[in-house]
Amino acid sequence: MTTLHTLIIGGGLSGLTLGIALAKTGRRVSIVSAAPSTLELNGGSMELLGCVDGQTVAQPIDAIARLPKEHPYSKIGPEQCALLALEAVRLLGDSGIHMDGSAECNHWRITPLGVTKPAWLSLRGMATATQPHCLPWSRATLVNLPGFMDYPIHLVAHNLSLLGCDIMVRDIEVEGLSRPRRLASEMRAANLARTIGTGSKLRRLAEAINQTCRDDEAVLLPAIIGLEDDYPSGLLRSWVSAPLHFLATMPPSVPGTSMAGQLRHYFKMLGGKFLSAETIGRAQLTDGHVTALYTAKSPTIPITAEHYVLASGSLMSQGLLATHEAIIEPLFGLDVDAPDGPDQWSRYGLLGDQPFMRCGVLTDARLHGLKDGKPIDNLHVIGSILAGHNPLTMGDGHGVDLLTALSVAHQLTQT
Amino acid sequence: MGNCRCYNRRTVTRQPISVKYIQKVGTGADDFVTLPIVNVSGTTYDVIVIGGGATGAGVARDCALRGLRVLLLERHDYNHGASGRNHGLMHSGARYAVTDLDSARECIEENNILRRIASHCIEATDGLFVTLPDDDMSYQATFVEACLKAGITAEVIDPQQALSLEPALCPDVRGAVRVPDATIDPFALTHANVLDARLHGADTLTEHEVTDLLVENGRTQGVRALNHRTGQSQEFHAPIIINAAGIWGAGLLHRAGIDIQMFPAKGTMLVYGQRVNQRVLNRCRRPSNADILVPDGAMCLMGTTSDRIGIDEVDDMRVTDTEVSLLMREGEKMVPQLAQTRLLRAFAGVRPLIASDNDPTGRSISRGIVCMDHAARDGMEGLITITGGKLITYRKMAEQATDLACRKLGVEAVCQTATTPLPGSDSPANEWDNYNPTHRSNATRRHGTRAQDIPMASATDRTIICECRQVSVGEVKYAIEQLQCHNLVELLRRTRLGMGVCQGKNCVCRAANLLAHISGDPDKAQRDLQRLLDERWKGVKPVAWGNALRQAQLTATIYQGLCGLDQAVNDRKEDQP
Repeated sequence: MTTLHTLIIGGGLSGLTLGIALAKTGRRVSIVSAAPSTLELNGGSMELLGCVDGQTVAQPIDAIARLPKEHPYSKIGPEQCALLALEAVRLLGDSGIHMDGSAECNHWRITPLGVTKPAWLSLRGMATATQPHCLPWSRATLVNLPGFMDYPIHLVAHNLSLLGCDIMVRDIEVEGLSRPRRLASEMRAANLARTIGTGSKLRRLAEAINQTCRDDEAVLLPAIIGLEDDYPSGLLRSWVSAPLHFLATMPPSVPGTSMAGQLRHYFKMLGGKFLSAETIGRAQLTDGHVTALYTAKSPTIPITAEHYVLASGSLMSQGLLATHEAIIEPLFGLDVDAPDGPDQWSRYGLLGDQPFMRCGVLTDARLHGLKDGKPIDNLHVIGSILAGHNPLTMGDGHGVDLLTALSVAHQLTQT
Repeated sequence: MGNCRCYNRRTVTRQPISVKYIQKVGTGADDFVTLPIVNVSGTTYDVIVIGGGATGAGVARDCALRGLRVLLLERHDYNHGASGRNHGLMHSGARYAVTDLDSARECIEENNILRRIASHCIEATDGLFVTLPDDDMSYQATFVEACLKAGITAEVIDPQQALSLEPALCPDVRGAVRVPDATIDPFALTHANVLDARLHGADTLTEHEVTDLLVENGRTQGVRALNHRTGQSQEFHAPIIINAAGIWGAGLLHRAGIDIQMFPAKGTMLVYGQRVNQRVLNRCRRPSNADILVPDGAMCLMGTTSDRIGIDEVDDMRVTDTEVSLLMREGEKMVPQLAQTRLLRAFAGVRPLIASDNDPTGRSISRGIVCMDHAARDGMEGLITITGGKLITYRKMAEQATDLACRKLGVEAVCQTATTPLPGSDSPANEWDNYNPTHRSNATRRHGTRAQDIPMASATDRTIICECRQVSVGEVKYAIEQLQCHNLVELLRRTRLGMGVCQGKNCVCRAANLLAHISGDPDKAQRDLQRLLDERWKGVKPVAWGNALRQAQLTATIYQGLCGLDQAVNDRKEDQP
């Protein structure tokens, strides 16, 4: 049995990106994934850098130079970030995820509330804008699927109309929705994708849209089509006579679920091994070196690899754990950058600059995890578990996932 | 096919917000008919009640049932104060039997009455007073004797039997006494009282803060109230004013030259996300900090602390880490399993006690009812203060205040509230036409037989928007029409939407969308949504570690990161009136 080149803990955006980059070069890679990825919260766009020091960023690559030195991008370096950003777009495209946008210049995604936020990449077919306060249409139709509640249509219509666009809300009754409506859990976006987003139902949805909105300048539909790939959404767009664009919904997100699935699929196609619903229960360290990992299900069978990468996510993915006393990284006990005590982790006013969003694992310049101040030479740390960034106030979440993963991939393939 | 609504291009400048009062719903799914509010300015009342807690609502109902013309004025929303910030324990009175016999007697009398008139608000859980290794075993005999003296059934049971009744109880329990404690939903209770008052002709206004008493020649003539929705002041007239404003009444009286020594005693409680006990569990010792664990639906509440706070702090009480730690530690002594149970949030309420001595905690102040005739006490004719007491003696408090008002008005009418059931408890909950049994049982728990008034005709009305609490679109409409609900936070108080274990990840957004549609004011709905998240976060922050912090990060990621709610609200702040 040949030894494993890299074992990745965490099957989210960063773990899968690294897995794919390594597997493409023929390395043996395994990913251990505990739970579904937070890509389920994704609205069909990726962010690289949206805000620095409270100022909205138009040119993310240029703005990277202004970031503090502890930011993961600063560790990678601005020039390298620009190259890795291009590489990330290619890798996503190879996985079947076709996204438009540029790292040089942000465009604007439309959120599930109908407000605009800076974005680096957006899935083909998503409604986007090139200006923050202006939509590319003067008149658009917003399709309402009565009973689908995870899309706050009255708020969206209002917020879009404030961007200088006349919005018409049209109800479209779709066959097959009357039964699911009994239960809210059956009316989630992902379930609609299964019930009305395939086969003859999809055809009928197109016909219904065509009947109601034939000559409209633009038709906006909640993104409920294409749970596995973008084939059905492409079909629908070709069947609908008016220009059709998709709008992000409340989670679970269909485009996000589809992206996660496509990355997983591509990783497996390349020969990678993906262990889902599996957690690493214990890590063995000898002389500041990781020697083995043990899964929770098989606590006596060691898994060994040349390199280990921690991509287990932040608090909400349980990569970090907050006890009553401290915020810790539970697996290796890595050094965590966090204020002292629960009182300091958060502030009143939930949607502000929350200290807990910045908490994360400390690394050296090459993203080796630090334990008691010393780097562990065969353990890298990537993605949202890293300290020094804040996806909510800086809009840098996906970029940190993708770029730290690719940066570590370069290091591991050069050795 | 389908209908069509237009949202025309708008500039960001908004008109001043007008609140619409919705009184009737059409037969169609989405056809709300909005009517202007009943004009109350010209009306002359017999009685004006200040304060929309359980007591004020009870007074309004009692007055209305006796045929008085009554107006209730509430500063914010019903149950905004102490009535909405307690553990919902329906005392048998046992807790006070040893230290405060009169109060204990009041409790057990009212306990028996509420079981008859407010059955839909009550879960008859029973209660245990347990002696733990830390507690003095000899107290049990004193306790049982005092209970019997107060007329409270108190049955000593074997510790092993107590453990078989409550398996989560500390295995080293040394003694247990069974008493008729129960739990009561304070929200359902107050709303049922308000609803009945209105059904009997009372006018009730929320967001109306009484700023001054109108006094002429030593007699009250009425009040001046500030309408928080419009920012305008208005005078209301009545010969009798009943102050049921709890701790907030003291400041009002002070401005009228009357001083009463209130003792604001802050009590903090923890909410756990799982119900570990079937019965109310009390420590069998003198009433002290952190000695009650009360079940509440699928959750349970650990309480309480008691600390005197400044009168200036009552509007912004923050839970401290010391209080949380104390409650956790003591709770785990009683039920060790709490150490592994998910903490959802913490909150604090303030008891409207009347100061009597230099007791720093307020534990030894009587929980008895205080009904003050300010004519006799201060020479101010027409003014009555009703305070002290407990949530569960609210009806008795209302009766005493109304009796006094009737005497002053020369009205001979007998109090009916001890025998007339509240709306929702008027007959055993019967089957209503709704094909979702989970929804039916949940809605019945909240509204009793009144749940039959929830619109269920259309598919939209039957759509469930909160899975945890099984709240339907129809129930939201019912809350808006029948329960004077104007925003999301008020909706949460009336339906408990978003208060389940998922902590409202998606359902609060669904509700905001629905309110935007009904009110026609999406900007307000968005502001309300952020306010609701902040309000709830206030409760979570004191326990923000473990799962609570995890959930907070998830909520922030959805509403700030994915949706940009903060942006939608803050960018338009300067345009608000």
